Amino acid sequence: MEKKLIIIAVVIAAIVVVGGISAALLLGKESKTTGTVRYVTIAPKDMKAALAGGTIDAYIAWEPYVSDSVVGNVGDVLEWSDQIMPNHPCCVVAVSPDFLNGPNGVNLTERFLKAHIEANKWMADALAHPSGANYTALVNMAVQFTSRNATVVKAALEHVKYGYEMNQDFRNALKQFTDMYIDANMTTAAKLQDRGYSSTTDFISKYVNGSLLDAAKSVTPSSTILNPSNPIRLGYLLGDLHQLAQVVAQNTTAFGGTSMFQKYGLLVTNATGAPFASGGTEMSLGFAAGAVDIGYLGAPPAILNHMNSGVKALIIAQANSEGSGLVVKANSGIHNLEDLVNKTVATPGESSIQFLLLKIALDREGLDLKIKT
Amino acid sequence: MRSLTNSLSKAFISNWLRLTLSAVSLTVFLTLWWLFSAYLRADWPFQGVTPSPSTADYIPYWWDVLRAVGRSFVTRPQNTGGLLMSEHILASLKRISIAFALALLSAVPLGLLMGRSRNAEALGRPLVELFRPIPPLAWVPIFLVIFKFFWGPIAIVFLGIFFPILLNVILGARSVDPVLIDAARTLGARRGTIFGKVIFPFTTPYLMTGITVGLGIGWMCIVAAEMLGAVGGGVGYYIFAANNTSQYELMYAGMVVIGMLSVLTTGIAGLIERWLYRWMGKK
Repeated sequence: MEKKLIIIAVVIAAIVVVGGISAALLLGKESKTTGTVRYVTIAPKDMKAALAGGTIDAYIAWEPYVSDSVVGNVGDVLEWSDQIMPNHPCCVVAVSPDFLNGPNGVNLTERFLKAHIEANKWMADALAHPSGANYTALVNMAVQFTSRNATVVKAALEHVKYGYEMNQDFRNALKQFTDMYIDANMTTAAKLQDRGYSSTTDFISKYVNGSLLDAAKSVTPSSTILNPSNPIRLGYLLGDLHQLAQVVAQNTTAFGGTSMFQKYGLLVTNATGAPFASGGTEMSLGFAAGAVDIGYLGAPPAILNHMNSGVKALIIAQANSEGSGLVVKANSGIHNLEDLVNKTVATPGESSIQFLLLKIALDREGLDLKIKT
Repeated sequence: MRSLTNSLSKAFISNWLRLTLSAVSLTVFLTLWWLFSAYLRADWPFQGVTPSPSTADYIPYWWDVLRAVGRSFVTRPQNTGGLLMSEHILASLKRISIAFALALLSAVPLGLLMGRSRNAEALGRPLVELFRPIPPLAWVPIFLVIFKFFWGPIAIVFLGIFFPILLNVILGARSVDPVLIDAARTLGARRGTIFGKVIFPFTTPYLMTGITVGLGIGWMCIVAAEMLGAVGGGVGYYIFAANNTSQYELMYAGMVVIGMLSVLTTGIAGLIERWLYRWMGKK
């Protein structure tokens, strides 16, 4: 009896294996064209070591992971992301609709944005005066936040553009990303309809909310904390230099003992799970789980995960633009994008802005980007 | 061919009770799944309850998952590497097979040695106990740099398979009845013969338990292993990537495929077991 059961199992097994193998051989055969760059997905924190060890030939990541390799003489920057797409959006501030529509949600969100604006202005001023005390204070904050040394941080800060405004270019770029996701089958036009949007333009106009930011500009300081028992639960990514505004807004020592959040009457605490490893996890473990009220994250996961699973993180301000780079191994003889053909480039994942930027850059040169096989 | 269909139909007839029971348990599972999904969506028969749409996206209907499994064999979404499920399956099977072969080749001799020699055990035990409880996920960044893309994921799966086999073989080799060994020795058997004719056959059931458990853990490790720059994709990579973009139907589709692959490899292990018994019986 046992024997017969095993015969059945083996026949089924054989069918599946033979079917799978032949399907893969028939359909999976890819001709290695001369114009294909190969990619793999690895975590940005491991990219420098992988580059140094020769596992990969290049990688694209956000700061400080770019300057990490440059300062350490492991890699050279082939292209900064602003060369690929000037002023491209990157990290944003997003709010959970549950929080926004909850008690005092609009008021608290506007106050949060006011602190975000003020932090940005302070940073802009500090960065404009590298010999000033504020610059030193900013570098110190960034050193603590990213666990990098001051040399790496200073190099990294040169390539990140901080800013909160959301202009038409910003919206157009987000629309372009959404269209690219639909083209690439990472989400579908049907999902867009499911979520109640008639087009990608309609989606961006509803998902990017500029009115809170406009209202925030006239918010005045508060002498009392408005949410003493319900702190705003803040989400952000591990050591992501793009999200430095929230570090500045939380800092008390550089501002006479009162943080910018406190100045505008807010108690802010780290959300459970924060700092998150990626925007994708911040969306699924933070926003979807109801653990994050307001979060800093990349615009792509805020868009893509909303499309695919319905979880909402309304985009209410920009956190930065630019600030990513394509790094190649030092002295590798790779001088342009064509030299990357048949080489291996690591990206943080197909849903990241860095992957999109790499794809845009290679498309422009007529090169394909395909997974390493 | 006729004898095969004959034996298949006979197997079905003679096992109808057990097959029915298996079908019942699967049906109950699928029904509960359907009821839960319907409850979250306030679909029939739960029209009255308040729907929870945000949770509902995480629990699709099972037929949608099966549809996603089917679709995964014909579409190439970019976020899962632009590969078909068949290519992912092939990549994962390659990793599991190589890791399994390596684990078997190393764990069986080591296990026999550690089970039969106190000194060997004293040498090996601290290392085994030190490394056994470390979750495979912890090794991901280290293995990436040390073993690189091809061997890195294999090494993680290897760790998952290696320890269950090793521990079971140690246990088996240690529990051989000394009377049997004495008897063999009295009959003039040499050390090699005792190993081949007494200890190894006695250990085989333990080895098979180790293989079954090990393969299961091997499949559990595949997601962690393929987070590590999975070259050429893999089912674990597929699950990881789908989760990253909140495509839960695809994620479940990957899980279903892993489940089926695990059944498949366990079936093959059963076959090896039979073959081994027959071989030992004949010898």
